[in-house]
Amino acid sequence: MLAAAEQAEFGFVRDNVEVTDSMLSKQMSALEQAGYVKVKKGFVGKRPRTWLSLTKEGRHRFARHMNALREIAS
Amino acid sequence: MTEAYQTREDAAAALAEAGIRASQVRQADTQLRWMLLVLLAAYLGVALLMSLSPHSGSTFAAVGIIAMLVAAVAFAVVVGVRIRAYSRAAIRLYFGTIIAFNLWNALVTSLSTGTRFWAQGQPSYHFGISEAVGVIPLVIGVWLLSRRRD
Repeated sequence: MLAAAEQAEFGFVRDNVEVTDSMLSKQMSALEQAGYVKVKKGFVGKRPRTWLSLTKEGRHRFARHMNALREIAS
Repeated sequence: MTEAYQTREDAAAALAEAGIRASQVRQADTQLRWMLLVLLAAYLGVALLMSLSPHSGSTFAAVGIIAMLVAAVAFAVVVGVRIRAYSRAAIRLYFGTIIAFNLWNALVTSLSTGTRFWAQGQPSYHFGISEAVGVIPLVIGVWLLSRRRD
């Protein structure tokens, strides 16, 4: 999902991937530590908002992963 | 990561899943068209009011224009806050449309004044005609963003 998006809000990813807050948070922390995901926190009014996006390295790795999948599938 | 997909079926299922996630982002992209539609509606609304007003202006038109612009800004803020995801292509299309609209609109305005299509003694609806031509990039932008749902 993040590969298709320039940025996606945490809640959007959670709702579409159908995982819990804690599970997504754990996954994103791991991917952020690996340098694949960038997490940006901010506020809209008084509401906290977390925006997720892939880093350049994350996009590169995802593209490689997709290529590998295509090779297996073909 | 890829080692988890041992079979062709697993890989095909993972690719299909990636396609579904990408389409969810494309659907979210269509939210951006509402921002352009607000601008389009406000612009055409102002054009209509100006077209119907006498050259000397009227209180009704002035109040109507201010009300329309305030409503447009409020609606744009509400839509903007509700946007939860967008793709790189959509945001480029959005800002590309805004830039194209400004350039095109400047050209239409220059031509309208330069050719005296807008001038004292000309009918008020000339303003509306020029504005209707001026919003063409917005209409195209809305149409292109709407197509991202497919």
